[in-house]
Amino acid sequence: MKPIKNTFLLMAGAAALAMSTGMVAAQDMSAFPPLAQLGEPPVPDDNPMTDAKVELGKILFWDPRLGGDASTGCVTCHEPDQGWGFNTPLSRGYPGTVHWRNSQTVINTAYLGQLFWHGSARSLEKQAPAAAKGAIAGAGENDVMEARLAFIPEYVERFRDVFGTEWPLIGDAWAAIAAFERTLIVNDTPIDKYLGGDESALTEEQLAGMELFNGKAGCIQCHNGALATDEKYYNIGVPPALEWEEDGLSQITFRYRQVTNGVTQEMYRKVKDDAGLYYSSKEKEHMGLFRTAPLRYLAYTAPYMHNGAFWDLREVVEFYNAGGFENEFTDGTMASNKSELMKPLNLTEDEIDQLVAFLEGFSGDELKIEPPTLPPYEAFASE
Amino acid sequence: MKISRFKSGTATLGAALMCATVLAGPVTADEAALGPVVGPEVNEAKAALGKRLFFDPRISADAAISCASCHQPEYGFGDNLQLTLAYPGTKGFRNSPTLINTALAANWMHDGRIGTNLNDVTREMITETYIMNMDMRLMQERFKQDPVYVEMFEAAGYGEPSNGAVRKAIPEYLATLISKNAPFDTGSMSEAATRGQALFEGKAGCVSCHSGPRLTDDMAYNTGVPNNPEIWSDPMRHMTYVAFAQFMGVSNYMNVRRDVGAQIIRNPVDRSDVGKFNTPTLRELKYTAPYMHNGMIATLPEVVAFYNDGGGEDPNKDERIKPLGLSADEQADLVAFLEALSGDPLTGPEYVWTDEIPTSYPAIENWRDVTN
Repeated sequence: MKPIKNTFLLMAGAAALAMSTGMVAAQDMSAFPPLAQLGEPPVPDDNPMTDAKVELGKILFWDPRLGGDASTGCVTCHEPDQGWGFNTPLSRGYPGTVHWRNSQTVINTAYLGQLFWHGSARSLEKQAPAAAKGAIAGAGENDVMEARLAFIPEYVERFRDVFGTEWPLIGDAWAAIAAFERTLIVNDTPIDKYLGGDESALTEEQLAGMELFNGKAGCIQCHNGALATDEKYYNIGVPPALEWEEDGLSQITFRYRQVTNGVTQEMYRKVKDDAGLYYSSKEKEHMGLFRTAPLRYLAYTAPYMHNGAFWDLREVVEFYNAGGFENEFTDGTMASNKSELMKPLNLTEDEIDQLVAFLEGFSGDELKIEPPTLPPYEAFASE
Repeated sequence: MKISRFKSGTATLGAALMCATVLAGPVTADEAALGPVVGPEVNEAKAALGKRLFFDPRISADAAISCASCHQPEYGFGDNLQLTLAYPGTKGFRNSPTLINTALAANWMHDGRIGTNLNDVTREMITETYIMNMDMRLMQERFKQDPVYVEMFEAAGYGEPSNGAVRKAIPEYLATLISKNAPFDTGSMSEAATRGQALFEGKAGCVSCHSGPRLTDDMAYNTGVPNNPEIWSDPMRHMTYVAFAQFMGVSNYMNVRRDVGAQIIRNPVDRSDVGKFNTPTLRELKYTAPYMHNGMIATLPEVVAFYNDGGGEDPNKDERIKPLGLSADEQADLVAFLEALSGDPLTGPEYVWTDEIPTSYPAIENWRDVTN
């Protein structure tokens, strides 16, 4: 076995080992971190929050000039009125392309240690440029994006105030965007209120759902803690995206991502589904593993799963009730990595309704924001 | 002083610089002689593939522009703008040069910065952020999704579509773009043009740089072509120039207000290469106005008048650029000669892809059962 390079892989491995001993009995559920109120988000020492930085980051989040042809900004695939994500199964992509995964909400990402569906970025500061520069996302290049900022006087002034540089630096743009994203917090949901002592915040149906969540349904085994995710990696048997079978543009992107993720020629020829964590580790036991999704803001972020396979929460719960489905990384075609935790749950129709009602309690009010006015280009003053 | 061009792909820059005087040695009489352009041998299947690629906008990142967007057949495979359009979201800072006879050039771009081959030029045009902005790994997968390409790459002997083959096929197509039936080549020049040729090779001294069948020595000189103010007054163009200059290592690039030209190649500390640009070919001028690296001169009589006046103002101006003392008639004769260097337009189906190019991609059937 190859040496394990990253701590998180070690954690994923340990988790897989622990889980492989079999289904955890209901009485053991208390071993997992309980659901909890979301506190204040952590802020990295090297990117402190200031009002001016957040305001700059907000404008940049909306600015399509941080992309290849000035058509595609962060907001293009993270639309506030689509749950700060994008509500097609596979996200829209850069013009002329389609993305290959579902766009995740930006809400509460401040708390996450691992961004993207297979955890390929470790901070918001690293996530933003990866998205802005990828050919199926922003398709921007540092040189042109940085040069554009220099010709927008309002940015020159704001970057100077916030970062103290003569001209805007592209790395500082990502820092400002990350700071803005750390303000996109929804931590007053019915579940937060209930956990804070307001017993009327959840309905009877939701309370029954919570009991299932923490018990019979076993959701808490992975969806635990304040964010309702352990940030570990599992193959739960999400079926492959239909788009890959039916849509030429999606097929192009699918193969392109195999190339850019550095799979072997043999795997490039053979693979028909998203191998997830495997792309980071190249370990067969990581094929088809994805990070446990946070459950917050769920009501606004359909469709669900890394490829948007399910359109509503009831479909999701029914999927788990069936013990998950199969994909080529569970059925032995490429690997047999289905998590041991995925077993039929024997939930009744009423219990499914109760769980769905409880999941909706993670959402709270929709976070709306007044879009900023984008500052214009201006020529340098003639000399 | 001439800027040397290095044809050896393996020599280090330092070694090449040391050899510069040898490589740049006197041009032989044969090479310098004016005469018809003889194109290289062309493989038809490869050139046909290259032709389709040249006119296919899916070769750019957002599928908005093709090679032909800035190199249009009706404008001699240039465009009719002072400065090119460039990739959406950016704007060009130089004039689009003709591609006719480019297969025979020794180096490419107005500053001559690509001195290897058209394979490299093709890669540069496809991938440069402000030109096509393409990730060639994505391009390759796009073309694998097009049944017409799958067939054409195979027929050309390249196997399945690949970015390496794209870089070979487009140059093969460019090798078909060779001047055809110019009066100068067919011996059908007017008397005025014939008198103009004598001036060109004599009193006006044009031939000292505009030599050989393509009427260029592929060297860079400073003739004092005026600055194009639009590069600096249009923030989109200036921004694009800043991105370019930063990447090329131009010092103090935020404060540059004039295209430094070939300075980027050797970067002499005395900045003596600032403002040098490659001698352009004089073929197909009839189709390629406006003229000069920045499109600053609109017509051929104005170009001739510019040289007759001894070029423009520049501290680095080549000392051979002096007032020529040509009469109005002599200038008209020179223009007649320049016009006689243009041949038939290369706008027929032999040169232009006329079938529709699809904008969507069919799904591969039985996707799960076939290899990728």
